Amino acid sequence: MTRQDIENEVRDIFLREFEVENPELDVNLREAYGFDSIDAIDLLLEIEKFLGSELTRDEKKQAMDIRTMRQIIDYVEMLAEKRRTTKG
Amino acid sequence: MTDRRVVITACSAITPIGHGRDKIIASLQKGISGVQPLREDELFGQFIHSRVYGTVSETIAYDFKRQHRKTMGPVSYYACQVAREVLEQAGLSTEFITGGRLGIAFGSIHGSPTVQRDIYKIFLSAKDKETYQKIGAVDYLKSMVHTTAVNISKMFGITGRIISSGTACTTSSQSIGFGYEAVKYGLQDAMLCGGADEYDTITVAVFDNLLACSTAFNDQPEKTPRPFDRARDGLVVAEGAGAVMLEEYEFAKKRGAPILGEVIGFACNSNGGDLILPNLEGITKTLQLGLENAKISAADVDLISAHATATKMGDIIEAQAAAAVFGSNPHVVALKSYMGHTMAACGVIETILTLYMMQENFIAPTLNLEDIDERCAMVRHVQTLMEHPVKTAAIQNFAFGGVNTSLLIRKLT
Repeated sequence: MTRQDIENEVRDIFLREFEVENPELDVNLREAYGFDSIDAIDLLLEIEKFLGSELTRDEKKQAMDIRTMRQIIDYVEMLAEKRRTTKG
Repeated sequence: MTDRRVVITACSAITPIGHGRDKIIASLQKGISGVQPLREDELFGQFIHSRVYGTVSETIAYDFKRQHRKTMGPVSYYACQVAREVLEQAGLSTEFITGGRLGIAFGSIHGSPTVQRDIYKIFLSAKDKETYQKIGAVDYLKSMVHTTAVNISKMFGITGRIISSGTACTTSSQSIGFGYEAVKYGLQDAMLCGGADEYDTITVAVFDNLLACSTAFNDQPEKTPRPFDRARDGLVVAEGAGAVMLEEYEFAKKRGAPILGEVIGFACNSNGGDLILPNLEGITKTLQLGLENAKISAADVDLISAHATATKMGDIIEAQAAAAVFGSNPHVVALKSYMGHTMAACGVIETILTLYMMQENFIAPTLNLEDIDERCAMVRHVQTLMEHPVKTAAIQNFAFGGVNTSLLIRKLT
């Protein structure tokens, strides 16, 4: 799974679940698109589906500081890498 | 500080007889009923004896952004739609709407039963974590008892006080009454008030099991409910929503707002006893307290919008109480005859319909009132459409739990 794959998936989730088309990478999602704490919980569920694996409570807590698309992509990339190395 | 005057500057309703002023007035003047066959919802509908329902059949455009939609069940869709229409009509500035001097009094009988049902379905079928995770982060926000009020506050950025009564059939008459008091006593300068309820078979089943629902007209839905009629056989549950904007009179006048009427009095009391049976003493007292609060006499009232659900006992007790307090001079109309009982929305919908009649100088007849029950005959029933001015009206509502309200409104000339 490449970083581009992750970015594509996150963009799909934003369009499908949050009706946000092509969000910019570095803007504050709350300020620009009204993305709030409820959306963050929904996003975590979508990420779990995408990775095919449940997130731990600690992993979910790490997501609480996320503010931008780029940070989401970093976060998913980190989770995917962690799962890959654990499996390996 | 002297009490401030409170006026109504906007109103909107979604009802089984129409969404919006023109359609509702046309239905009232043409005697069109909004009662239809009960919908099939794959629950226990086949066991319910009453097969009729006051149905909103118009398609309502719910063109809200997802950001707002995501915390709404059907009841909040209704509520936010009428709230939006009222805010548009009232023409208040964004600065005022968000400034803290506009509050909300809005409720429903129990939030969103549709969403609650889905939550319980998940709970009752819970076998594994996957099922558990189907309970959404926002299910509570969609279904809680104050879901209508807070969704309105979120959608429009309203920051004043929130009152969310959930007192069954007096929910929205309390909304208007408590909103009126908030403005009258200077706690807020304006209040957006109302109530809503969505389609719900559970409510029908509850009343059906209490033998309170109409069952004799299943094949002719428009023939029921029949308030005050000898052949009445119970209420018809309905869905709908309504909202009014209340404003302090000087504030409304200064900004050139359209003034549809004035709220001149409100009373609310409790029977302090049986939670179901109508109580002559309690109801009579409410109507008297309403007059005292409005500082008018019974002779000043020319129209009574009766609660009149078409139950056997309820209508008799109400007619007796109205006759004891108002005598036989005011005309009496039972507006539920057009659409059934819209539950939390009935008080506000009946207030709005009364405002329409005041503006258009007519009194709608009680539908299906063909043969007046002699035990209800002591008041002045309206059986045919009348061209008639209405200056002052009393809107009365009574709820399960023994809660009674009386609202008095006046036309400003």
